[in-house]
Amino acid sequence: MTWISKSVTGLGLLFLTHACYSAHEHSALHSTTAASLSSIASHTAAVPTVASLPIDISIETIVAVFTICLGLVLGTPELRPIQWRVWAGKIEREGEKGFSSSDGTVDKDYVGNPFRVLESRPGFIDIRKQRKEFAEWVREGGGTAEAS
Amino acid sequence: MLTERELQISPIVQESVLHNTKTLTTLHNLTASLFGVGAGILGLESYLGFVFYLVFSLITSALVYAFRVRPGLIQESHDPGKSSMERYFRSSIELWTGGLFEGLSGFVLTWTLFYGLVRA
Repeated sequence: MTWISKSVTGLGLLFLTHACYSAHEHSALHSTTAASLSSIASHTAAVPTVASLPIDISIETIVAVFTICLGLVLGTPELRPIQWRVWAGKIEREGEKGFSSSDGTVDKDYVGNPFRVLESRPGFIDIRKQRKEFAEWVREGGGTAEAS
Repeated sequence: MLTERELQISPIVQESVLHNTKTLTTLHNLTASLFGVGAGILGLESYLGFVFYLVFSLITSALVYAFRVRPGLIQESHDPGKSSMERYFRSSIELWTGGLFEGLSGFVLTWTLFYGLVRA
């Protein structure tokens, strides 16, 4: 996807540069011809203002702007769902793949599975075993504590 | 506007909101300067230039809708009836007019610059 956006943007920039150069040349040429014409005809100070651009330069400019726009839009990163359930579902389904940019690196603010706390929780505590251990500790450790 | 009760029932991921807004703002800033270049080359003046900016900003938003919002909606087509924009933005106004005013200064800057360059 990224090379498409880059090439489209580059093509549009090329068009835009050409259109800019053409417009500049047109205005320069027009002003010189107008000046020479007015000097030849020795009119009063009625040098006409710069005439409107030729239609092909206008069309090229608009097409170039649209093309660059398209390329930039294609180059934006993917939007992310903002609702928690949709977002978490996407992480569950796609994992890191859904949150990596086009060149394969995972985004910096990818937080991972929001439910991983639930997945790694401990099981039930064996309270009877702990009680037995505590009793043993009291029998042994309590005795030493008394002795010391 | 979402009430607190609705936010409790269906919470919103702040990081995603931030990411989407940042993406849109960057795009609008970039394209606004670009539109300024276009308007300067065309030699537009006064209201015509702002109309140019408005039209092309709407086109940009439409392109974002077509290429970024729409594919996600098609993927999730088993959830019909919902407002289509709610997957990525809190309201559809955010997409259509979100970056309109941030980019305006950049637009005027490049517009005047290229107008002066071309008609020098």
